[in-house]
Amino acid sequence: MQLRPIAALAALALAVGLAAPSGPAAAAGDTIVFGSPVSLTGNLTKEGHLTQEGYELWKNYINAHGGIKVGGKTYKVDIKYYDDESKNDTAAQLAERLIDQDHVNFLLGPYGSGTSFTVAQIAERKKIPMVEGNGAAEKIFNQGFRYTFGVLSPAKRYLEGILQMAKAQKPPAQTVGITAASDAFSQEVAQGAAAWANANGMKVVYNNKYPDTATDVSSIISALKATNPDVILNAGHLQDALLVQKGLKEQNVMARAYGYSVGPDTPDFASSLGKDANDVFGGAQWSDAVKYKGVPGFYQSAQEYAKAIDAAYHHRADYHNAESSAACLAFQYAIQRAGSLDPEKVRDALAKLDVTTFYGIIKFDSRGINLFKPMVVNQIQNGRLTTVWPALTADGKPKYPAPPWGQR
Amino acid sequence: MMTTAVLRRIGLGGITGSPIAIAVALALMVVLLAVPLGHNGYLEIVFRNILMYAAMAYGWNLIGGYTGYVSFGQVAFFGAGAYCSAVLSAHGIDNLFADVALACVVNALFAVVVGLPVLRLKGHYFAIATLGIGLALSDIVANLDALGASSGLAVHHVDEAHFYVYYYAMWLVALATILGTYFIARSKLGFAFVAIRENEEAAAVLGIDATRYKITAWAISAMMAGAAGAVFAPANGFLDPSIAFSIDSNVFPIVMAILGGVGTVAGPFIGALILAGANELLQRYFIKIHTLFFGAMIVIVVLILPRGLVWLFGLKGGARTWLKSLTAFKA
Amino acid sequence: MHLFAQDLVNGILAGGILAVVALGFSLVWGIMNIINLAHGAFLMLGAYLTYQLFASFHVDPFLSLPISFVVLFALGYLIQTYLINWVARAPILTTFLLTFGLSLLMVNIALIVWTGDQRGVTTAYSGANFTIADVTVPWTKLFTLLAALAITGIMQLWLTRSKTGRAIRATSMDIGAAQLSGVRVAHIYAIVYGLGAGLAGVAGTLISLSYAVNPGMGDPFLIKAFVVCVLGGLGSVEGALIGGLVYGIVEAFATQLDFTIGTQHISGSGLQDAIALVVLLIVLIVRPTGIMGKATA
Repeated sequence: MQLRPIAALAALALAVGLAAPSGPAAAAGDTIVFGSPVSLTGNLTKEGHLTQEGYELWKNYINAHGGIKVGGKTYKVDIKYYDDESKNDTAAQLAERLIDQDHVNFLLGPYGSGTSFTVAQIAERKKIPMVEGNGAAEKIFNQGFRYTFGVLSPAKRYLEGILQMAKAQKPPAQTVGITAASDAFSQEVAQGAAAWANANGMKVVYNNKYPDTATDVSSIISALKATNPDVILNAGHLQDALLVQKGLKEQNVMARAYGYSVGPDTPDFASSLGKDANDVFGGAQWSDAVKYKGVPGFYQSAQEYAKAIDAAYHHRADYHNAESSAACLAFQYAIQRAGSLDPEKVRDALAKLDVTTFYGIIKFDSRGINLFKPMVVNQIQNGRLTTVWPALTADGKPKYPAPPWGQR
Repeated sequence: MMTTAVLRRIGLGGITGSPIAIAVALALMVVLLAVPLGHNGYLEIVFRNILMYAAMAYGWNLIGGYTGYVSFGQVAFFGAGAYCSAVLSAHGIDNLFADVALACVVNALFAVVVGLPVLRLKGHYFAIATLGIGLALSDIVANLDALGASSGLAVHHVDEAHFYVYYYAMWLVALATILGTYFIARSKLGFAFVAIRENEEAAAVLGIDATRYKITAWAISAMMAGAAGAVFAPANGFLDPSIAFSIDSNVFPIVMAILGGVGTVAGPFIGALILAGANELLQRYFIKIHTLFFGAMIVIVVLILPRGLVWLFGLKGGARTWLKSLTAFKA
Repeated sequence: MHLFAQDLVNGILAGGILAVVALGFSLVWGIMNIINLAHGAFLMLGAYLTYQLFASFHVDPFLSLPISFVVLFALGYLIQTYLINWVARAPILTTFLLTFGLSLLMVNIALIVWTGDQRGVTTAYSGANFTIADVTVPWTKLFTLLAALAITGIMQLWLTRSKTGRAIRATSMDIGAAQLSGVRVAHIYAIVYGLGAGLAGVAGTLISLSYAVNPGMGDPFLIKAFVVCVLGGLGSVEGALIGGLVYGIVEAFATQLDFTIGTQHISGSGLQDAIALVVLLIVLIVRPTGIMGKATA
């Protein structure tokens, strides 16, 4: 048996298989097809799934309630997903596949700032509008892109609310210590917090970073402890949030308030840490306690939305769900107002959008990011996430200062 | 005096691998010229990446396959080359020739400077040192504000209508690495590399200046990886440490070279085609578990093809010899 | 540097864990000449095992140490016997690739079974600490260090005194001679690989007390294992311990570096990986066999 021809044929077969299109061309007839690379594997798996849930919930609602009216015609909605493995590059390639191979009408953003940035590049080059709800880094919106829109508040806002709240207490907090992971998003959050503190009369006594892959943060915590800040802020991701919170307890670090950019809002934080998670603040894009009244076309209140998420996915609605659904809503209203599926018309409609939803106001500044929606501050009180700031949206009062470690 | 004739008499010859495999590889390269004609941006990316990984696999193949110094840090050169393009772009220079030229110069210097101390290490230690270089560079760049730190740098690129230039540029880089490997393999350089791999002490006794040749091998392999990076950066439009120094860019070329056949001319290219192709198809049809299948695929392939694919091309005796070979490495 | 003492203690405590992580990796590498890229995956499985026992049956993590060891040892033994053994004597690259593929498999299976959620093991005594002379020492980390020392001690004794241990050392020195003396090499290799996996599992158990448990958790530790091994010397038990402690201490002190030049923030803790790797490079160039290594490469 000769092996050479077999190997050669195998290589050829692969080349042919690659070139073959992967399925029927999308946007057939009366379906609007959205494409979305999401992190179904890799280190952002959890958040990627939350994003997908938000998209799917919206899709199912729309299809069950008669679809979207465009001009005189009613369209159903479909979403095609690929797994970007939490990798920036892969997300971009998949975006290109969705556009060139699968011929989707529009793009829904991936999870994360890194991936959103690379996909935004593709959207710009191909002139296909993209709306994302999960990439808060402002650099995405400082490039002059016209085809990318973000429904969420930018990264620099994430921890501002916590500082605002701490400053408003009696006696007001005066010093801040910041630890941050070294990825782009966390750095923007940290810099935003530091900038706000400096501009509002608070002193930043510690501000340092650690690599994403840090296996031990004890020494950075020791250094932080030595500066004795009133408020301790961490800008990172769930994995290191857990590491830091455990480390703070282990080294007996006492502060009046502890705030995390990512962590408290995810159920894993409280379930992993038990009582040690109590009284921790988190900055969030949304919570199920907010009291906005949305326009018709979808769930109109945060509470209705939360019930729907719970019924479909059996967990408490997380802001990643909400902001993903909000991204879809932006498209929904923009398409309806444009009265067309033409990318240029929809893009223009998105740029002019100004609508209140269960998520808050969706309106974009000239760069494409939503500066008009405030962040909320949540606090874990007795194991339950409670919204405590701003007062208008709150369903509980902030517990400040935090009690010593053993008494939570 | 060490000449190719002497080396051949000693028995170190035929190090290009099966000529049929080389012919097949070149034929496939010609076929790949046609990809941009299909006006499918996505396919262009897929094959451009194959060419990119192939170029990097050739770079690795030269220092790891031919010279026997297994490097786990080629990604450092790729990333450095990519950042060269980004920096030039930030200063208003958006010329692919300039990008590649700068990347080659910078990486050759980098390889020489780092190679002098590091190439004195052998085997595992060399491997770990190179791994360390790759990781350290990624970390350092992530902390350097001048290079964008973790946020990265945007890289200017041509518009959609002319995007195919990046495809052809990468094709040229890949072609250069294939032909470069071929001519090096048949030259005195190639024989010296293999002599060093087989027995460095003996080679030294025979008059081969191992240090000079090792550094040359590493510099050339650095330039190959760097050139690939230099074309990649504008094509990608954006660069950050996680993209420039990604684990994939480090591991894939090695896996491809091994799969195809180390120390051959056609091996890395065939390996690149098959591995990247398999990865693509798996991604398409097994969205949630493609990495699982990818892992299983690697395990199976390693077990049934421990010497790589190109070895199969030159195998006399077909299937029976192959089956016997499966137990050759048992403990 | 008023934090000197605290940093030293932090470094030693962190180093203890790294030593256990590196120990199994070093043994497999030094004795079988295999760079086991699946080591991180074994670590991860040990952590999940501990998490599951804790969450479902309230088994204290320290009590699950022997369970972790036994289960992962068995897994490693089977994997070596039925998969790796086919290419055990192939060039280093082949086993590199094989273990890479195995790692992908194990991580993705874990992803399917447990999903990507971050899990934690938080006991009632988690976070408890005591303070001596301005230095705060967490109890859990202290016990982890003690466990690490105990494990290292046991391994060293076993390798030098027991019959199997001697057979292992004989095999690593000269396979031919060992075979002539009646050593079944394949079986020895399986034991060594099983040991490597078991030790990785034990490391995972200890790590789960502080670090979030998720399918990809093994990678950062694997990279550090590489560095610690070479630092300490391949195949050497004391080497893994010393290498781990040195690495831990260097990383801890690197945090002291914290100043700004213009707008460029030079952060030792941000650069901690780079610093450790530079230290590694220096050690390799000055003394390649590591601190405790023998002169064979």
